Amino acid sequence: MSQPIVNDPLHGQSTDAMKGNANKQSTRSQLIVFKLGGEEYGLPIDQVKEVVLTPRLAPVPHTPEYILGAANIRGSVIAIMDLEHKFHLSDQIANVKAQEHYSLVIENEKFKVGVLVKEVPNTLSIDSEDIDDSKEVLQFSSLKEECVRGIAKVGDRMIILLDIIAMLQMDDVTLGS
Amino acid sequence: MKEKEKEYLELFKAEAHDQFEQLNRLFTALEANSDDKEAIDAIFRITHTLKGNSMGLGIQSIAEISHVMEDIFGEIKKKKFSLSSELFSNLYRGVDKLGQLIQAINTDEKVSYKGIRTKLQVAFRKILPEEEATDDSGSAVVVPADLPNAAETIVATESEPAEAPVAPEDSLSATEEQAVQEEAPAMEETAATESQEAEEVEDDLSTVSDISFSDFVNVPIKKLDGLIDLVGELLIEKDSLAAGRKDGQRNNELALLHRITSDLQYGIMGIRLVQVGFMFHKFHRIIRDVATIEQKEVSLNLEGTEIEIDRNILKILSDSMVHLVRNAVSHGIESPAQRRASGKSTRGNVTLRAFNEKDTVFIEVVDDGQGINEEVILKKAIEKRLVSEEIGKGLSKDEKLQFIFEPGFSNAEKITEVSGRGVGMDVVKRATESIGGRVSVQSEIGKGTVMQLALPSSMALKGALLFQMDRQTYAVPLSYTEAVISLHKKDLHKISNGLMSSYLDRPMSVFFLKDLFQYGKTMDTSFDFHQGFNALKKGEKIEVLVISYQNTYLGFIVDKLLQQKEIVEKTLSKPLDQVPLFSGATILGNGQVCLVLDIPNIIRKVLKNKRRGQEHEYITN
Repeated sequence: MSQPIVNDPLHGQSTDAMKGNANKQSTRSQLIVFKLGGEEYGLPIDQVKEVVLTPRLAPVPHTPEYILGAANIRGSVIAIMDLEHKFHLSDQIANVKAQEHYSLVIENEKFKVGVLVKEVPNTLSIDSEDIDDSKEVLQFSSLKEECVRGIAKVGDRMIILLDIIAMLQMDDVTLGS
Repeated sequence: MKEKEKEYLELFKAEAHDQFEQLNRLFTALEANSDDKEAIDAIFRITHTLKGNSMGLGIQSIAEISHVMEDIFGEIKKKKFSLSSELFSNLYRGVDKLGQLIQAINTDEKVSYKGIRTKLQVAFRKILPEEEATDDSGSAVVVPADLPNAAETIVATESEPAEAPVAPEDSLSATEEQAVQEEAPAMEETAATESQEAEEVEDDLSTVSDISFSDFVNVPIKKLDGLIDLVGELLIEKDSLAAGRKDGQRNNELALLHRITSDLQYGIMGIRLVQVGFMFHKFHRIIRDVATIEQKEVSLNLEGTEIEIDRNILKILSDSMVHLVRNAVSHGIESPAQRRASGKSTRGNVTLRAFNEKDTVFIEVVDDGQGINEEVILKKAIEKRLVSEEIGKGLSKDEKLQFIFEPGFSNAEKITEVSGRGVGMDVVKRATESIGGRVSVQSEIGKGTVMQLALPSSMALKGALLFQMDRQTYAVPLSYTEAVISLHKKDLHKISNGLMSSYLDRPMSVFFLKDLFQYGKTMDTSFDFHQGFNALKKGEKIEVLVISYQNTYLGFIVDKLLQQKEIVEKTLSKPLDQVPLFSGATILGNGQVCLVLDIPNIIRKVLKNKRRGQEHEYITN
């Protein structure tokens, strides 16, 4: 496979060493891949509980704009987020009423939120070797390092691996009090 | 036997059975590794609880055996000496005996236990420090002359390090004495016949291998909550089914479905209901401890212990109740000398009372002490800058008393062991309001104080009024809605950046809820609350929700009032739980999410901010 593109030549070697490490214990993992602003993002499949058609939303006052509202998903009330807006990929708040959208339901012990996506997400199996976990690429983006696990290169596709649990746990999502 | 007592006994039995099984497990662990500190601690803890519980119900046999086992393990904990195999086998038999006694609770079967108890007592005395043990080192037989000594040690070990230091109290030592007295003949028995014990051993062997099951099932609350959620969904589905039907279409089936779902709902909610007596009875000990520390004489009276309430509510309120009761004893009840001087009996009374009215359960902590002087409260409030002197003077008695619920307000002159750490009543208030209840205080100087908590009997279901804002449906709990009125533009008046109107001839602040929703985003104190007003056409009628909270009225203007409805409120999950405006959400018959306004929080967080801002502005200007 091709060498990862590393911006800083000084870091090239350490990255190679890390890759050497990864080779020994390369494992395959399943991703849910979805598009935000034309780019592909991936989440580990075990973080996604289900994918549903986004139900009608109840707007929640006092929340940041990217929280589109609360939805009833199988009897529990969860917040639906527009990550495109949060990541500044789109200036427009998604208009849920106009089109049919999907929501990825992300759940762990503390959180249950929905992430709005415009196209049906796919699953993809990747090899841990394909993941480049260098953080350098992120330093000029608005995404916090902790929120990204790395970039997966599969063929000519670039998939940004999100750590959505970390993202939700960060104060980033704290609302106005 | 009264129904209530029977239920306690059943519960005790279920719990004791559990504890017995744990003991068995722990002893097995201890046999494998005699240094197992965790097992030793756990056995000590379990025997202690078992002793306390059985004493409370007057089951002498279980109390005695668990008592001596607790003593032995107390020593083992302290001195780390290892168990001899003889002691161990005796302890094992003690546990088996406990099992038999627990099994025999409602069969009235006679189980002889005194032999094994005495054996354990002898063993206990052997492991005590030398000077106490020398007396009977000569023979294994206990002479009755030793008994007062033994009683002393028992009482001494009674006050544990973990708990507040308490002097041995009358009633407790009385039980001990009684136990000791009963012991005397038992001693002779053992001294006389070892054979009887042999009988008992055989007796043990015949029953030990029985596997018994309790009639109770322990269910984690989480599972019940899951069921309640499911029933909530079922209700919603049922509602939407009913909504989609045209009149006259198979109404019978729908009525049947309605009956089943509502029975199911109440049935499941009923499982979570417990009698307030369970909590009330725990206060005998607390009152006793506090009264001893404060050197007061206090009796505890319980009323309405059979009233049922959601277990979760009791759990949330338990700390608050402890606080209220402690307050009643340490601040309410006077010292015996003071009481005599004011012509009252030296013994004060604290009453815990429960009663219900429709869906509301009232719990009151009543004392016949000195009462709260509202002027002292006001002085403190002014000192602590909670209110300005001018405003304070004009307040009513009730309003002055309300300051005790302000954060940081503590009435204690000095910090004592019992109360006065500056946290307290505000926590009580917040805990009560978090479950949709209210707390109020009534007090008369010289006569006493009544602290009243008005609580929903179930947390799952509450009455709410639905209304519409921007084509979205919201709910407000009925417990906070005073009235619904219609006003016109001419009834509203601008005052600074807010709005005023009047209700029952009293001035009332009014907010367009729309503006309030907007305001929360910025919390900018110069926010213009006139937007809704300015957009209002002359002569247009507006619907106002009158909210009553702490003796004040607030008007919230909404787009359209809808019906009143019983809702199943669900808590909001992160990150929505941080929105101060809403306490939760419910799902309507059409599947839509409906947010529930959190009135106390809106007033506390959102509007307090505004008030502070205005005061600040006033000062800087």
